[in-house]
Amino acid sequence: MALNDLDPVLHSQLRLAVISLLISVKEAEFTHIKEQTNATAGNLSVQLQKLKEAGYIDIEKSFKDNYPQTSCKITKAGIKAFDIYVHNLQQYIKPAK
Amino acid sequence: MEEQTINPEQSLQIIQSMICRAQNNFSENGFLFIFWGWLVFLSACTFYYFIVTNFENPGYAWCLMPLGGIFTMIYSMRKQKKEKVRSYIDSYMAYVWIAFGICLLLTLCLGYKFQLACYPIVIMLYATGTFITGGIIRFTPLVVCGALSYVISGIAFFATFETQILLLALSVLVSYIVPGHWLQLKFKQQNGHGTK
Repeated sequence: MALNDLDPVLHSQLRLAVISLLISVKEAEFTHIKEQTNATAGNLSVQLQKLKEAGYIDIEKSFKDNYPQTSCKITKAGIKAFDIYVHNLQQYIKPAK
Repeated sequence: MEEQTINPEQSLQIIQSMICRAQNNFSENGFLFIFWGWLVFLSACTFYYFIVTNFENPGYAWCLMPLGGIFTMIYSMRKQKKEKVRSYIDSYMAYVWIAFGICLLLTLCLGYKFQLACYPIVIMLYATGTFITGGIIRFTPLVVCGALSYVISGIAFFATFETQILLLALSVLVSYIVPGHWLQLKFKQQNGHGTK
């Protein structure tokens, strides 16, 4: 098992944190993800867009009390990719133990 | 959190810490437990008083229930709107309490139609709602209080109508008011005083 086999979309600090957060909840607002990951708004927007392009998350934009609101939720493809990523990670770590 | 190369051990740490943060997000503040607990408790006591004093329309004691239902719907919708994150637990809880509401309504309708004293079943439904909620949010006092209400329900099956009303009041005291305040305390401890 080579490290290169890990999904490059998920093998990034912020994107992995976002997916790990979204796998535990039904949906989360942009501000909540930002607070939990300690990321900057700009960087988080870029990484969310990459996850969306990979089909791992759905991003929904709406208005709440006249303010724009962005909420994110993980897709079935995202759950599957995360599952494979964790499995590959376990395979990589196992021989070292 | 900037984008940078990570090793597998760091990956595992990130996954563990984010999942842990999501799981520790305790969103149940116990307000509806306290609200319904006191509302039913006071209504049941008033109903008992009306019955023993031979009041003409003792059913008036329950007149605040529909208003409580409307208030609960508005409160829940506003709370959901304010939440920045919606967990699976929130979804499960909504289904549990909707099912509870439907069962309670049907039981009361059947009791009214066939003139049955359905309070033991109502107490059993109260116990079920509390017991399942305690299990879902992993809050042991709710599970224990729900189980105590099952015992009260069992006793109520053998009690007179008047005693059943008092047992209903005791049931909401045990399975709603006490654990509701307990939940509120835990919520305040976790989220800091002054927040709701």
